[in-house]
Amino acid sequence: MKRQLVLAAVAVLLAGCATLVAGCATLPAMQAGLSPVLRAKDRVAPAMVHVRPVKEVFQSGKREEVSVVGSGFIIAPDGEKGGRYVVTNEHVAGESKFVRCVLFNKEEVDASVVGIDPYTDIAVLKLDGDQGKLPYVALGSSAKLKAGQVVLAMGSPHGLARSVSMGIISVTDRYLEDHGDEMVSPFNTWIQTDAAINPGNSGGPLVNLRGEVIGINARILAGAENVGFAIPIDIAREVIDKIIKEGRVSRSWLGETLQPTQVKTDDPAQKGVVVADVDPLSPGYEAGLRPGDVMLAIDGAPTDARYEEDLPAVRKRIADIPVGTRVTVSVLRGGKEIEVPVTTIERSLLKGNQVEFSEWGFTAVDMTATMVRRAQLPSKKGILVTGSQNGGIAANARLQSGDIILSVDKTEIADLGAFQSLYKNLVEAQKPLVMLQVKRGALTRFVLVKQGEEGGPQPDTASLESEGGSANVN
Amino acid sequence: MSTSILAFVLAVSAGQLDDGFSTAVIQEAYGRYTPAICLVTYTSEITNPTSGEATKRDNSSLGLIVSPGGLVMAPGHMQLENSEPFNISVAVGQGDQEKKFAAKLLKKPDDVNICFMQLQADGASFPYVRFTPGVALEVGDPILLMGILSETLDFSRGIVTTRVTAVLEKPRPTYPIEGAIRYGFVSGPVVDSQGRAIGVVGFDLTTSEGGDLYVRSGHPLVYQADLFQKYIDKPPVETTLPGGEEAWLGIFTQPLNDDFATYWGLEKRGGLIISSIVAGSPAETAGLKPGDVITQFDGTPIRAKMDREVIGFTKLVRESQIGKPVNIKILRDLQPMDFQITLASRPKSARDAGEYVDEVLGLTVRELTTDVRLLLNLSDDVKGVIVRRVKSGSVADLARMRPGIIIMNLGDHPVASIDEFKAAVEQIAADKPDEVSAFCRAGSATGFFRLEPRWEDNAGKESGK
Repeated sequence: MKRQLVLAAVAVLLAGCATLVAGCATLPAMQAGLSPVLRAKDRVAPAMVHVRPVKEVFQSGKREEVSVVGSGFIIAPDGEKGGRYVVTNEHVAGESKFVRCVLFNKEEVDASVVGIDPYTDIAVLKLDGDQGKLPYVALGSSAKLKAGQVVLAMGSPHGLARSVSMGIISVTDRYLEDHGDEMVSPFNTWIQTDAAINPGNSGGPLVNLRGEVIGINARILAGAENVGFAIPIDIAREVIDKIIKEGRVSRSWLGETLQPTQVKTDDPAQKGVVVADVDPLSPGYEAGLRPGDVMLAIDGAPTDARYEEDLPAVRKRIADIPVGTRVTVSVLRGGKEIEVPVTTIERSLLKGNQVEFSEWGFTAVDMTATMVRRAQLPSKKGILVTGSQNGGIAANARLQSGDIILSVDKTEIADLGAFQSLYKNLVEAQKPLVMLQVKRGALTRFVLVKQGEEGGPQPDTASLESEGGSANVN
Repeated sequence: MSTSILAFVLAVSAGQLDDGFSTAVIQEAYGRYTPAICLVTYTSEITNPTSGEATKRDNSSLGLIVSPGGLVMAPGHMQLENSEPFNISVAVGQGDQEKKFAAKLLKKPDDVNICFMQLQADGASFPYVRFTPGVALEVGDPILLMGILSETLDFSRGIVTTRVTAVLEKPRPTYPIEGAIRYGFVSGPVVDSQGRAIGVVGFDLTTSEGGDLYVRSGHPLVYQADLFQKYIDKPPVETTLPGGEEAWLGIFTQPLNDDFATYWGLEKRGGLIISSIVAGSPAETAGLKPGDVITQFDGTPIRAKMDREVIGFTKLVRESQIGKPVNIKILRDLQPMDFQITLASRPKSARDAGEYVDEVLGLTVRELTTDVRLLLNLSDDVKGVIVRRVKSGSVADLARMRPGIIIMNLGDHPVASIDEFKAAVEQIAADKPDEVSAFCRAGSATGFFRLEPRWEDNAGKESGK
C-alpha cells in the first residue's frame, strides 16, 4: 500500500469568501430551514484557513525553499477571545520558516509555527497581529463515530480554497503501517472516509453534521479512489493542547517494537502484546526486555493487543508515561511471568536536524535513534549524508547520499553540531586535504575531500561529455 | 578542392585496404568460421540479491563451438552471480541444416567473462574454431568480427570489419574495439588480417555484476585466446566446487593514491589502505586495523594507486596457500610494522550455499553466507536461514513471508543452519500443530509470523483425492 501525503506543491488559487463571521455554536445553528449539510458547512467554513508555508527542502545536496499549499482551521483553546491558533498537518507546516495564511475574508495573515509533532502529523500555527475576534471551529469527539455516518471534508484540494466535499465514514479505526521515515502514525488509528480528499486538503477538517471537527484530513491512498484518511480529533486534541502549552510533545520510550498476539497465536485467551524487537540502545534492552517476550501489563494495567488495530492504544499508553518514570513491565517468557523494572527515557525526535554545507556542496542530518537502528550502528555517533551536489567538493570526493560520516581527520563525530564546528574551522583554514571515515552499508572507507578544487570531477570518473561541457563554457 | 584530391590519392594508394580486408579474405573467413557459430537459447532465473525474489526470462545469445566434441563458449553475462541459466538449447547449422542439441553448463571461469557448455551429443563431430594464442594487436589493426544477426534476419550469420581502437597494457593487454557491437556478436570470433582466429568479442562484468576482477566494463573488448585457451584444452568441471579452495585474509581495501600519500606525508609509491575488516577473519584476529597501509604481501611490494590495481592484490591473496603464514608489511601512523598472518580458506559464497526446498510451509531457504551477511549488514549474532523463494498460495505466502526474510526460530526450534531448519520442519510435520510462530528478521527489525499449516490438504494429496 502506497500512501501519499495530501499536499499540493503549487499554489493555484487563493481566496476565502465565506461571509458568516460567527463565533461557534451560535448563529448557524439558529438558522432554520437549512439542510443539515449546509448548516454544518456554515458552522465551519468561516474558520477555514488556506495555509501557504514556505518549506525548507533538502534536495540533491542543497537546501531549497519551496512554496506549498495546505489547509487548516482556527481553534480557540480558551474559547473566549476568538481564535488565534491554526491547526494543520506537520507535513504542511513542518520545516517552514515562514507561513502565510489566507483567512475567510480573503485577508492574508502571516503566522508563526508554535510547534509540530511528526508522530501524529500535527502542527499548530499562531496568527500574527490582532485581527479582532476570528471565527473558530468547535472540536467534536472521535470516540463514538460510526461507519456510515455522513461527514464533510473541507479545505483546499489542489490549492482550490473553500472547497467542501461530502461522504461517509468508511471505517473508524483503520490501522496504517509505518511507511518509511516520513510517514509514521504509531499512536493512532485513522478515520477512513470516501469524502473526496485531494492533495492540498492536508490539514483541513473532517466535519460531522453537527458542524464539529472530528478529524484532520492528512492522507490518501495513492492510486485508489475515495480512500482518504483523517487523524481522529481526540488524539489531535491532546497533541494540540500540549503544543500550545509546551511547544512540543514529549513521549516516553522503552525501545520496544510491538506486534499483536495474533502473530503468535489465534488463541483469544492469549493476553498481552508481543515484543517483536527491542532496540539494543534502549532502557528496555538494558533492563532485560527481549524480543519474544509477551508484555502483559505496565504497572499492573493490562497491555492487550490481539489485532494490529489495538496496537496504537498500547503504544500510546507507554508514550503517555511521564518521561523518566520507573515502571514495572510484566512479561511472559517461556511460560513464566516475570517483572522487569524499567525507567523510561524520552522518545527521540522522528527527524534529525538537517543542514546544508554549501562550501562542500552537501547536506547532512543528525542521527536519530531510528536511523541508528536501521543502519545497525553501535552508537548514535556520526552524521548521515542526505545528498551531494554534482560538481561540488563533496561529490568529487564521491561522498553520496546514505553515507555516514564517522570521523573527520581521525576526530570522531559525535553529532551534527560537532561536525559543524569542525567543518567551519576546516573551511576557514582552507586545509587542502581532509580525510573522512565513512560508513556505507556494512563497510567503511576513507574519503579525501580536496578543498579549493572545484575543477570538475576526478579524472578517473570524468566522462567525455563533461569535458565537452567545460569546453563549451570557454 | 585540394583536400578532396588528397583524399582521392590516399584511397588509391591504400588500394582495397581501406578497411584492411579484401572481399575475398572476408568471404574466406566467413566460410571458415561461421559454421562454428550457433544459436544458444535458454531460460535464466534472475534472483534479486537483496530480496531473493526470482524471476524467469527467456534469452538467446551466440555460442561458438571450440572443440570437435562440442565444447561451446558463450557470453559470460549468461551466467552471473544472481542469474542461473537452465533449459539450454543450442541450434547448430542454419536453415534446413539446423540441428538442436541440449547443453550442460560448466563452471564459469573466474578470470574471464565467458561461459562454457558441453553439447549433449554422443560421438557427434562438430565444426569448430581453432584459436591462435599469443597474437599481440596494435592500435588500428584491422579485425573481422562474426556473429548472429537478429531474429527478423533469420539469425543469419554476419561479418563486420573494424579496428582495434586502443591498447591498454595493464594489468593485462586489453584491446577495446568500436563501441557499437550487436549483442549477437558477443563471444563471436575475432579474426586478424592473416585470417587467424585470435580471440573472441567479450564484455567485462561491471563491479555491480560481481566483476571485482574485471574493470574494463561497458566496452566491447577482444578477449585474446591466451585468456581462455586453457579452458578449451581442459574444460572446467560441471558442478560448482564448494568454496574453500581459495585463500582469504578478510579485508576490504582502497588504493593509496597520490592524494592519500600527500595527506599522510608518504612517498607517492602506491599501496593499499585497509578500509574495512571482516569480523572473524584472519585479518581481524591478527590485529590489522582500518587505516593501515599495506606495502608488502609475502615479499611482493604492493604499489596500487588506482582502483583497478587492487586486482593484483586480490589475486595474490586468493592464490596464496591456505594455512601457511604470510608476511604482511604495513604502515600504521607512519610506523612500519610486520604481521605474520595465517590465511584461512575463503568462506562459502551465496552462490555455493546450500538450499532447502520445504514443501510443508512452501519456502526455499538458503544458509547465511559471509557475503550475504555483509550485503545485509548483519551482525554475527544473527543466526538463521534466509528465505529465497515463497511458493505462491503456500502457508508461508498466506503468512505474508517474503524472500529476503531471515528465519531465526521456527516455533521453539532455533534454525541457525539448513540442517536445523530441515529438522524443525520435519518435527513440525510430525507434530502437526495448528499454528507455528516464526521469529524472523527483515532488514534491521525483528518480528513474528504466524504460520498455519494445512495438514488436511497434504493428507488429501497423499491419498490421491
